[in-house]
Amino acid sequence: MSPRSPVLARALVGLLLALVVPLAGCAGTAPSASGASSSGGSSAGTTASSAAGKRLEVTIAHGKASGDTGRVPVAAGTPVTLVVTSDVADEVHVHGYDIEKELAPGAPTTLHFDATLTGVFEVELHKAGIVILHLQVE
Amino acid sequence: MTVLAHGVGTRTDLPIPIGLALFGAGAAILLTFSVLLLFWRTPRLGGSGSGRPLPAGLQRALDAPALHRVLQALALAAAAFVVVVALAGPPDTPHNLAPWVFYVTFWVGLVPVSLLLGPVWRVVNPLRALHQALRLAVPQAPGAERLPSLGLWPAAGSLAIFLWLELVCPGRSEPGTVGLFLIGYAVVQVALALWFGEEWFAVGDGFEVYSSLIARLSPWGRRDDGRLAFRSPLTGAISTPPVAGLAAVVVVLLGSTAFDGLSRTVFWQSGPGASNDPVAGTLGMLAMIALVAAMYLTGTWLSGRLAGQPAAEQPRRYAATVIPIALGYTVAHYFSLFVLDGQTTWILASNPFGARGVDLFGTYRNVLDLTAVTAGTIALVQVGAIIAGHVVGVTLAHERALLSAPRARASDQLPLVIVMVLFTFGGLGLLFGF
Repeated sequence: MSPRSPVLARALVGLLLALVVPLAGCAGTAPSASGASSSGGSSAGTTASSAAGKRLEVTIAHGKASGDTGRVPVAAGTPVTLVVTSDVADEVHVHGYDIEKELAPGAPTTLHFDATLTGVFEVELHKAGIVILHLQVE
Repeated sequence: MTVLAHGVGTRTDLPIPIGLALFGAGAAILLTFSVLLLFWRTPRLGGSGSGRPLPAGLQRALDAPALHRVLQALALAAAAFVVVVALAGPPDTPHNLAPWVFYVTFWVGLVPVSLLLGPVWRVVNPLRALHQALRLAVPQAPGAERLPSLGLWPAAGSLAIFLWLELVCPGRSEPGTVGLFLIGYAVVQVALALWFGEEWFAVGDGFEVYSSLIARLSPWGRRDDGRLAFRSPLTGAISTPPVAGLAAVVVVLLGSTAFDGLSRTVFWQSGPGASNDPVAGTLGMLAMIALVAAMYLTGTWLSGRLAGQPAAEQPRRYAATVIPIALGYTVAHYFSLFVLDGQTTWILASNPFGARGVDLFGTYRNVLDLTAVTAGTIALVQVGAIIAGHVVGVTLAHERALLSAPRARASDQLPLVIVMVLFTFGGLGLLFGF
């Protein structure tokens, strides 16, 4: 870097600042965007947060999951009730928490656990090989 | 089947909070300017001849071929054991050692080990022992004189294949997949080494090249006169020979880690990657590598044009300066996997074949402790690694520019600096999770 070019140095600072400002703005708008997309995933409005904890419902038909799918945020420590109904026999697995339960065709199966571990965890169906939701515990 | 981003794992990290993302971006800019404008106006790092030599006796012991062969034989035995466990051990990933050893302990562990100790995999590479044994039957290496013309391009190819296996391949976490990959990789690499000679491994074995590149940032190096020396990691990095294909290796590493980050975002998981389709994954990975390549080539090309330097050599001239950025990304993405899911290796090592009542090291009854590090610590390590990688990268690029043209104008470096800053924002953005 040549010491004889203070103008250039200033130009450099200006240019990079010009680069930061829009990016900072972009970062600022991101949370609402991600919030929108995850609430878009849980369309049916079955998500209910209360003193009793968080209740999530997912229904699987023809290999497709609907209900509280996508990225579902939960506060750490919340008691979670997950109700899964599948049209075929399968096995549901909450990774990290390592909770597994058999699903009988058409019968709602309920899982209870306290969301004490932080991170993003997959909830998947073993036989269908699909991820029905990502539990984001923060 | 586990369909997590990086081969195996039970969890992924939370998106980093907005405060940290903004702080990280600000710190990256500020530190870049401090380095560039205030402290560093003449070349400061020694060249490849500098460094304090190790005692001659110690060097003789470390360089002894016998030591290398013994270490390689041990590594070969360990690798063969992992392959046997992969193919004959418990069939499900949570109870089979092989995927955890390969994706977490070996691939991620190679990073800290090489960073602290130098090019370890070059010394212990079990494929070198295998090649040595087979060379008794095939003494001639017909392609030996063609090898230098290949540069590091073969390593870029073999790394891309491994990274596709780790990040995209269906069934990548299955023990059988890991076992077959290890056998296939060994057969192809040893066959190519028989054709090109043992030095093939230094340019064609992705794992050895990866370890050697990271070792460039270790405090150990070999001087021009052949002495092992203790020196500044920055000196080691700046004296990386600008071989053809070096830029390709770095771009593949950076691009695939960026894809790993992308595949953890809400955007990817609820959009193109929702079906966990290998075609979408392959295209996504190729697109991220192409994006990184385009940005890097544009930055180096513009910088070279402004400085009036030959265009063809620009990418490899600056490739070593991207190593710390790639390393920062790697630490950011794999730190939690290593310290959390990495525990699985030590649990399963006590009972590799899942036999009843076997507990060799008394660890088999341990359970994975996912609270060993907090979410806050993970986020700090992630942001810190990306900023540190960025600052070291910009510093090295600055030094390289000063070395190649001491009277060059500062503005000549601007395109490359902007590209590096964009890499940092991209890295933070992916961690932020969009």
